[in-house]
Amino acid sequence: MPNTPEEKPYAPDEFISANREIDVVQIMDTIKKRIREKKESGVFKQSEIDEIVDMELLPLPDFLEVPNVYEPHLYPGEAEARPGKKEFHPMEVAFEVEEGSGLRGLVKKILIKIRKILFPLVRFMVRPIYNELKQFSVDRFNENAHNIFKNTEEIAYYRHLVLQSKEYIKLLHNALNNLITEASKLKIDHELLKTKIKVLEDKMEFLENRERAIEKKIFR
Amino acid sequence: MKVHQFLTSYSYGDAIGNEALEIRDFLRDRGHDSEIFALFYHPRYADQIINYLEYDKFSSPDNVIIFHFSIGSPVTKKFLRAPDKKVIIYHNITPHEFFLDYHRVLAKDCYKGRVELKNLVGKVDLALGDSVYNESELREVGFTETGVVPLVMNFEKFQQEIVPALEELFDDGKTNILFVGRIIPNKMVEDVVKIFHLYQELFNPNSRLFIVGEYRGFERYYSALLNLVGELRVKNVHFTGHIPDEELISYFKLSHLYLHMSEHEGFCAPIPESFYLNIPVVAYNAGAVKETMNNGGILVNQKDFIRVSALIDHILTDSPLKEQIIRSQEKALKKYLKNKTGKILLDHLQRL
Repeated sequence: MPNTPEEKPYAPDEFISANREIDVVQIMDTIKKRIREKKESGVFKQSEIDEIVDMELLPLPDFLEVPNVYEPHLYPGEAEARPGKKEFHPMEVAFEVEEGSGLRGLVKKILIKIRKILFPLVRFMVRPIYNELKQFSVDRFNENAHNIFKNTEEIAYYRHLVLQSKEYIKLLHNALNNLITEASKLKIDHELLKTKIKVLEDKMEFLENRERAIEKKIFR
Repeated sequence: MKVHQFLTSYSYGDAIGNEALEIRDFLRDRGHDSEIFALFYHPRYADQIINYLEYDKFSSPDNVIIFHFSIGSPVTKKFLRAPDKKVIIYHNITPHEFFLDYHRVLAKDCYKGRVELKNLVGKVDLALGDSVYNESELREVGFTETGVVPLVMNFEKFQQEIVPALEELFDDGKTNILFVGRIIPNKMVEDVVKIFHLYQELFNPNSRLFIVGEYRGFERYYSALLNLVGELRVKNVHFTGHIPDEELISYFKLSHLYLHMSEHEGFCAPIPESFYLNIPVVAYNAGAVKETMNNGGILVNQKDFIRVSALIDHILTDSPLKEQIIRSQEKALKKYLKNKTGKILLDHLQRL
C-alpha cells in the first residue's frame, strides 16, 4: 500500500526523480503545501483517501472457473479409478477348503473306508427312520425354498428400488449442480453484456457528439 | 545483405509491429532486401506482411533474420530451424502472473515465452534488447553476445493535423490528461483512474482523462475498470478503445499531461512520443521506464496517489516548471531519433 503523507514522511528525492535542472525539493515543498491546504480546508479526510487507495478491482469470474462442487462427493474415487483395475465383488471371493494331511489324513481315509463297508448294514437298520426323515426334510426344504424364493424376490425388488433411487439422487444432484453452473455462467454473461451495452452507449453518445461537432465545423 | 524480420503478431497500432515496419523501410532505404514475416497480422497489412510459413522460399545461410521476441509462439520453432544468421530483438515478456486472473491463455503464452527464451540461448548469433533493462534480462538468461537498440520510432507521423471533430469535442478549455497503452492488468490503469479522481476532486474539477488503447481480449479487466469509474463517480473519463493513428495523434495533441503508472514495461513507446509532442510526462518507475525517460519528464518512485495528483496540479499550473520539464524531455528525445537508432541496428548487423 502506498504511504500516506501522515504515516511516513520521506525525503523529496525518494518520491520523484527528475533532471538536475529541475528543483525537486521545491516541487516537493509545493506539493506538501497544496495537500496541507486542502486538508486544512476540510476538502478531504485522510480516511477517504485511504479508502480510494485501497479500493481493489473486482473482476467478473471466468466461467471456466465455476467448479463442479458435487462431483467429488457423488463419485468419490472415480477420478482415481483406472481402467482394468479389478473392483471388489463379494460373489467372486474364493473360499479355500483345508485338506487333511499326514497321520490325521490317513486316519480319516481309513474311517471313510470302514464307513463304506458298514454303510449297507447301517442303511438297512435306519431305513424307516431315514425315509421318514427324508420325507420330512423334503417337506421342510420345499417350505424353506418357497420362503427363500419369496424373500429373494422381495430383496431383489427393494434392491432395485434402492439402486434406482440412488441413481436418481445422483442425477438430481448433478442436474442441480449443472443448473447452478449454468446460472453462474449466465450471470457472468449478463454482467459482460451489461458492460458491452454501457460501452456501446458511451460510444453512441460520443459518436453523436462527434457528429454534432462535425456539423458545427462544416456549417460554421 | 538480405535482412528479414519475424514477428508473432502484427496488430494495427502495435509498437513492435510499427518498429518492424520502420526497420524494414530503413533497411530498404539503404539498399538491403527486407521483408516481414508474421504468424498473425491485421488484414490491413496483408500486402506488406508475409505468412511466416512461407519463409522457406526466402531462406538462405547468407541472410539475416531478426526475430522480434515478446511472447511464446510457433514462430520460435520456425526461426530456430532456418539456416540463416539469427538475431533476436527482445522486447521483454510481461510476467504471466499479471494475466492469471484475466486471461489464462495469454498467461500461458507469456510463461511459455520465457521458457522459449531460455531455449534460444546458444542458438542465435546476436541477442539485442530495446533497452538496457531488456539486455540485462538477456544476460541473466545466459546470452553472451548481446547489445542494445532503442526502439526505432518514426516521429514524422505526428506532424499531421488534429482530427477536426475531436478538436471541436475536446479542445474546450478542460485539462486533458492522457494514458496510452493496451488496457491490460500490468498497465495498472486503475491507478491512473484513482490519481485522476483525486486530481479532479481536489484540484481541478474541469479536467478530463483519455484512456487510449485496445481492450479486446481483456473485457473482464475493462469491465472492472468501468465499475471502478462508476463506484468512484469519476467524471469525464473517456475510454477510446482501439483507434486509428490519426486519432491517436489527435489525442496526444489535445492532452496537457501524460500519466503512466504501469508496473511492467520493456520500453514504453508513448513516453518518447509524448516527449516529441512537448507533453509533460509523469511516469512510475518500473521496468525500463526510467531508462526510456532518459532523465526527461518526472519519474515517480512511489505510488502515493495524493502526492501524484498534487504533482500533476503543480506541473499544470506552474508554467516555468512545465517549461523546464519539456526542455528536459527535448534533450532526452535525441536518443530516439530514427537515423540514430537505425544506424545502431545496422552496426550490430554488420558485426555478424
